[in-house]
Amino acid sequence: MRQLEQWITGIIDPYYLRIIILLGINIIMAMGLNITTGVTGQLSMGHAGFMSLGAYTSAIVTLKLGAPFWAALLAGAAVAAFFGFIIGLPALRLEGDYLAIVTIGFAEIVRVFFLNFEPGGKAVGLSGIPQQTSFTLVMITTIVVIFFTQRLLSSRIGKAMYAIRENEIAAEACGINTTHLKVLSFVLGAFLGGLGGALYAHYMYYISPQDFDFMRSIEILNMVVLGGLGSIPGAILGATILTILPEMLRVVAEYRMLFYGALLVILMIFRPNGLLGNIRLYDLLKPKREREVKPCQS
Amino acid sequence: MKRKTARNWALVLCLIMLVALVPGCNDTKAPAPAAETIKLGFLGAKTVNNANYGIPGEKGMKMAIEEVNAKGGVLGKKLEGIYEDNKGDSREIANIATKYATVDKVSAMIGDPATGLTKIAADIAQKNQVVIFSAGATGTGVVEIGDFVFRNTLLDKFAAPSVVDWMINTKGWKNIAIITSMNNGYSTALTPVFKTAIEEKGGKIVLEESINDKETDFTAQVTKLKQANPQVLVFTGYYTEAALIMLEAQKQGLDIVMVGGDGLYGEDLKKLGGTAVEEKVIFYAGFSADQPSPETDAFIKAYRAKYNEDPDMFSAQYYDAVMIIAKAMEAANSSDPKVFKTELAKLKDYPGVSGNTTFLPDREPLKSPVFLLTVKGDKFPALLEKVPTSAPQQ
Amino acid sequence: MLWQQLLNGLTLGSTYALIALGYTMVYGIVQLINFAHGEIYMVGAFVGLFLVITWDVNLGIAMVGAMAVCMVLGVLVERIAYRPLRGKSSRLSPLISALGASIFLSTLMALIAGVNTRRYPAVVDLSSYSLGPIQVSSMQVVILLVSAGLMIGLQFLVRRTRIGKAMRACSQDLDAAALMGINVNRVISYTFAIGSALAAAGGVMVGVYYNAVWPYMGTMAGLKAFAAAVLGGIGSIPGAMLGGLTLGIMEIMGVAYISSSFKDAIAFGILILVLILRPQGILGEKKNKKV
Repeated sequence: MRQLEQWITGIIDPYYLRIIILLGINIIMAMGLNITTGVTGQLSMGHAGFMSLGAYTSAIVTLKLGAPFWAALLAGAAVAAFFGFIIGLPALRLEGDYLAIVTIGFAEIVRVFFLNFEPGGKAVGLSGIPQQTSFTLVMITTIVVIFFTQRLLSSRIGKAMYAIRENEIAAEACGINTTHLKVLSFVLGAFLGGLGGALYAHYMYYISPQDFDFMRSIEILNMVVLGGLGSIPGAILGATILTILPEMLRVVAEYRMLFYGALLVILMIFRPNGLLGNIRLYDLLKPKREREVKPCQS
Repeated sequence: MKRKTARNWALVLCLIMLVALVPGCNDTKAPAPAAETIKLGFLGAKTVNNANYGIPGEKGMKMAIEEVNAKGGVLGKKLEGIYEDNKGDSREIANIATKYATVDKVSAMIGDPATGLTKIAADIAQKNQVVIFSAGATGTGVVEIGDFVFRNTLLDKFAAPSVVDWMINTKGWKNIAIITSMNNGYSTALTPVFKTAIEEKGGKIVLEESINDKETDFTAQVTKLKQANPQVLVFTGYYTEAALIMLEAQKQGLDIVMVGGDGLYGEDLKKLGGTAVEEKVIFYAGFSADQPSPETDAFIKAYRAKYNEDPDMFSAQYYDAVMIIAKAMEAANSSDPKVFKTELAKLKDYPGVSGNTTFLPDREPLKSPVFLLTVKGDKFPALLEKVPTSAPQQ
Repeated sequence: MLWQQLLNGLTLGSTYALIALGYTMVYGIVQLINFAHGEIYMVGAFVGLFLVITWDVNLGIAMVGAMAVCMVLGVLVERIAYRPLRGKSSRLSPLISALGASIFLSTLMALIAGVNTRRYPAVVDLSSYSLGPIQVSSMQVVILLVSAGLMIGLQFLVRRTRIGKAMRACSQDLDAAALMGINVNRVISYTFAIGSALAAAGGVMVGVYYNAVWPYMGTMAGLKAFAAAVLGGIGSIPGAMLGGLTLGIMEIMGVAYISSSFKDAIAFGILILVLILRPQGILGEKKNKKV
């Protein structure tokens, strides 16, 4: 693995390598949110909160307890998943925009907590986190995450989740345990969010509460929606575009964000259901099969 | 038909990835043109967060580069500035610092005004052996990152105690309220410095409140402040919020003096605050546009002529950073960061436009004296007093 | 101090309410979270500022001017960013074009006006009067009166006029309304226009009262207003007013009696609690779910 890493860093320029690594982390987080929002249809606008919990937990575990890297990653993901469970509970009673505001509120509370959290350095943030996230690790994790998400979505559980998105009452009537699956979708989404956060913290060297604000949540949500809700290749494409576009737009200097905003509008006008809205991974792999999932219309 | 769409989009996906990667290969493999210029990278925000510190910084840096080039450049080569906008965002600054170090191959990067962002860039600069010269990071743990990391700012740990001493012993203000801006790293780092100093000099903290940067409603805090009735208010954040707090105090009929750090040094303090801040806000800085040294005076005149506005602390510090780096390159007879960084560390009593600067053995800057400034009439800032820095033993 | 803080909360709350009304009206008809609404509010504040600085007009004219400009802008945003998506996409897709529009507008404003915080020149006397234990500033009175007036006017419009009737019909069932001969596109344009005008009025008043106008002010205000609209029960006009006032008072009381450093956490914490107890918001209607 080390040799592979050396080979890769040898041929790719560090600037592009960095963007690819950030892309991998973004894909992992988009995969997580895709399970919660894209597949199960539970609108979560506070994914940055999970990311923040994962990042801070792993960083503190590494810095203060001196734990090995893999333990830090797991700890970050586990803490996030636990809070995913907590946030999944109100999801049983709330839906749509009411749920959205609860998740926004949750992410804001997490942010304010870390702004007041002495061991996390308050607004100054935590620095000196060892840079252990490597290219190979991110790529392997991304592939593993994509593989497992794909397995999950084509399993009974995944199909039941799609059913909840399409029509919750009908799904329940078909004998699907919607309570379990809704909470599970939050736990899984939060787990991947936390994992992404932990990888991020161990790549960036420094984290602060402002890195995980409302705009970050929206950015992750946009990756999922832009790509196409519930679609794995969609989430990958969405994450890719939203990671690379701002870098490519550097040429237009101060008009960069102007172009970025306009491009988002234009992309949506031409592909209202997201770029790969109707397409699932095995639609690409096995072209003969008819597509089964319709875009979420509710 | 449906299958085709799927395939088309898969193609688009691959294309996008390719487009992203291709320039990467080009840049690394194309023969680099012989370095005819010495490149300097600007770190700072031009939009979104902290842009009001980055923009004047960029102006100061541009002006310095023009001046150096007008005199023939450094080592016979022209300086070239590269100005990316990091939006005050961690990922952006990390991407930009990496781009500067590896794609643009700069000799030094200058910035960022914020401590946290500087640390990210400093880590990258250190690993790539490029000099980073921060013109604004005042928090701890910056130069400790490594020997390529420098900064030129007035350090709070030297300045704040002397100001607290002036507050308590000269002015006799003992009952003190402190307001911190919670989402501002500068502010949360400065508050403990003030608190320690206040405790040491025998002051009493009657109220501690907090706000957030970019908020505008401070009514509740000011109402509480009025209730606690302190003799002086210490605010550790930036000038925009300082002006808004003072305006709210004026509205609620609270007559109080605000003392703060060099974060309050911005012309907007006066533009926004108007009569509410006049002679009521006192802050310290290592730079004063009022009663300046000859160097500073020349800088201010040139800056006004070029941009038709007054320079602030950041424009002065970015300007100085370029000049100091150019000087070190000349002295080392090299623009290689590995070589000129040793010359840079030797800087002593440099008469910059942002005050006299000496680098201590640990590369921390020492600037002296501290100017106590205020807003008076049309003048901003107006010099109130000069107090000596409580400098460590050298 | 309690009364003073209550007044502070009411003032802050009524500005939230004005922005929240726009959210709730649009949501009631097209079930869309208009995330560019915060930016409309920001543009309103800037247009007012521009009018006051350039032509030295008084507060009323500045407000009317800003409302007019934002009406057009709101309709434009709907035309360009939302209408092409309507009926063709999932409910979340317009979120992206909304975000695109909001990034576009705030960046454009930053390029035009600069990123520094600006203030209104003294258009109204900002001095305050002692009223028993509390200090009331004249602008506070203006904010409370104008907000109340606009909200009453809006109620009248929605309850008593033809277009209001059409709006209510559309909010019940868009397709059925279209079948009844209502020009749905026009009703939606009207809704955006009215919502944007209210946000612009809020923007001008906030700009004057808090002395601060800057290009990125819309994001946080929009978020708070969205929270207020949901708290009150999204889709309900009295709900948005109540939600805005409640949120404003909650925030101020959080600072006054609990802790200012946890301000937003307290406000959102209470919000979450309220929603768990009453999932449809304070005045929201509970809709029966159908298959």
